[in-house]
Amino acid sequence: MQTVHLSDAHRVHNPRVSKVIERILNLLAFLLTVGRPVSADEIRYTVAGYEQDEDEAFRRMFERDKELLRQLGISLEMQATDAFEVEYGYVVPEGGYELPDPGLTDEERAALWLAAQAVRLGGQPSGPEAIFKLGGVAGAVGGEPLAANLGEELGILGDLFTALVEHRIITFHYRDKKRTFKPYGLVHRRGHWYLVGATTDDDARAFRVDRISDLAVRDPAGAFTRPKGFKAEKSIPDAPWEAGSEDIMAEVTFDANVAWWARREIGSNATVTEQPDGSLTARIPVAHPDAFIGWILGFVDEALIVSPPELRERLLAKVAAA
Amino acid sequence: MSSPKTARRLTRILSMLPYVISHQGVNVDDLCDRFGYKRSELIADLNLVFLTGLPGYGPGDLIDATVEDDEVFVDTADYFSRPLRLTPAEALALLASGMALSSAGQAPPALERAIAKLTRVVAPEAEGGLVVDLREPPFVDLLRDAVTSATVVDIEYTALNSGRTTRRSVEPWSVFSANGNWYLSAFCRNVDAERVFRVDRIRAAETTDEPFTPPESPPPPEVRYTPGEEDVRATIRLGPAAHWVAEYYPVEVLDDDGLIRFSSSDPAVAARLLLRLGADAELVEGPEVAERLAEFRSRIQARYRTD
Repeated sequence: MQTVHLSDAHRVHNPRVSKVIERILNLLAFLLTVGRPVSADEIRYTVAGYEQDEDEAFRRMFERDKELLRQLGISLEMQATDAFEVEYGYVVPEGGYELPDPGLTDEERAALWLAAQAVRLGGQPSGPEAIFKLGGVAGAVGGEPLAANLGEELGILGDLFTALVEHRIITFHYRDKKRTFKPYGLVHRRGHWYLVGATTDDDARAFRVDRISDLAVRDPAGAFTRPKGFKAEKSIPDAPWEAGSEDIMAEVTFDANVAWWARREIGSNATVTEQPDGSLTARIPVAHPDAFIGWILGFVDEALIVSPPELRERLLAKVAAA
Repeated sequence: MSSPKTARRLTRILSMLPYVISHQGVNVDDLCDRFGYKRSELIADLNLVFLTGLPGYGPGDLIDATVEDDEVFVDTADYFSRPLRLTPAEALALLASGMALSSAGQAPPALERAIAKLTRVVAPEAEGGLVVDLREPPFVDLLRDAVTSATVVDIEYTALNSGRTTRRSVEPWSVFSANGNWYLSAFCRNVDAERVFRVDRIRAAETTDEPFTPPESPPPPEVRYTPGEEDVRATIRLGPAAHWVAEYYPVEVLDDDGLIRFSSSDPAVAARLLLRLGADAELVEGPEVAERLAEFRSRIQARYRTD
């Protein structure tokens, strides 16, 4: 029987990176077994790899290591080391390290991996790290039945996802206004991500994620309860002109030449009648007249708003000003 | 900042260890296959693990990692027996990818099961809170099949720019979704060049029996727009309410006050946009676009007058 002692094996990696990895593994082993909050000083003098002469050098190294733990998905909290709350130390809280077992089979992991490769989010397909955490994939073969790009803004989506999973209140800027919001869901539709939820006055709202800035996720978790039976997809309109505050029923004629295209765009809340000459008459609910007129103008003179008169006038005013 | 590379390597180590701990004696090649390791990388990582452990750092404190007859064993590392939790971004990306396939009707039963299981673990309190809607226009399936079987397709296509409808014979290379639209990347025999078509602008499509040879490395599936020599250019001043145009279209930004240069192969594109923007934009320069805009304006006004 042949036994290979691994410490004798050839080193193939950058020694500086290896030092970081050794140190982090030691730090994690310590944090996961010590069973109490430990101060930075205790870590410095106990865990192998932190032998630093200078306070400042240690502080910088420890800050980097904490950031690395965060990137890995590990949560690190400060807790009082004793009942008098004089000193605080670091602890990996319950559930802060490990993944509860989802009970996936190899076949299900392989299916997830194929899906992750076929869909881009944040500008690229997901790396294999998430699948490694789930237990890796045996004998996965490539194959991309669907190639879809779900947008670029993965960073902020991750934070919003945390907030909605943990029921945390968020604040952000949207159209130059500061908002305080209860996130209930995230919806990808028509090429955009939408955040849906309610204001602190319980007004249901939807916001385009790519227009959100200065997002802050607040403590504590469990700050609100989602309405029972909430369905995120019901909060996003089928057509862009259905999102708004007005309540207008428009009647529109589409010429035969563009009828096929109008049908595909019109949304499921409209009633459509085909005329003998192939043209369509449609009754369309409009909540956002500007968006609606913009869409109708895309047909130039092959669509006509029949009623109401005020929508016709708004369209003609827009055309005259263009 | 530590490099993402370090984080990726640590993630793989902390995923591989729990697997070995619950599958002692796993074959080296199987382990490499499962976690995407080259053999030398796996040995290097086990080698590092072997040097770490608990304070004291004596023989009983260090992690025991050995390879015997190509079987891998890891001992005295019970604290690493569970895999790392997913970051919110990782969980979201996996679920969203699965749901994208599912909404497009492309998810096998195993994927549907995996999405349900994963949702229970990472978002137990937020079921129904994540929705990905990638509904497909007609012909996506037909085109996808034609890509797989490398057969020529005849399409009737209405160009977004000009509104003109043409019949074309195309060699489909790939079908993909971006910015909420489905696209077909194909070699168009009519123009003897690669073209990207919007699938929802295909009015009719019919497969033929004629096979073609796909290119060895087809261009990546993305919507590209490169201004060409013969493009029509227009200078437009965007009002505050129209600044989104500069982010949405591939335009050249000329100053900080909303002045842009808009290029397209057909002046109708800019003219349609100007119609939509109304008083929120002003055409500063561009005779072809001005002419087309005036034509659109009088056509619309005429239609409403006679009605």
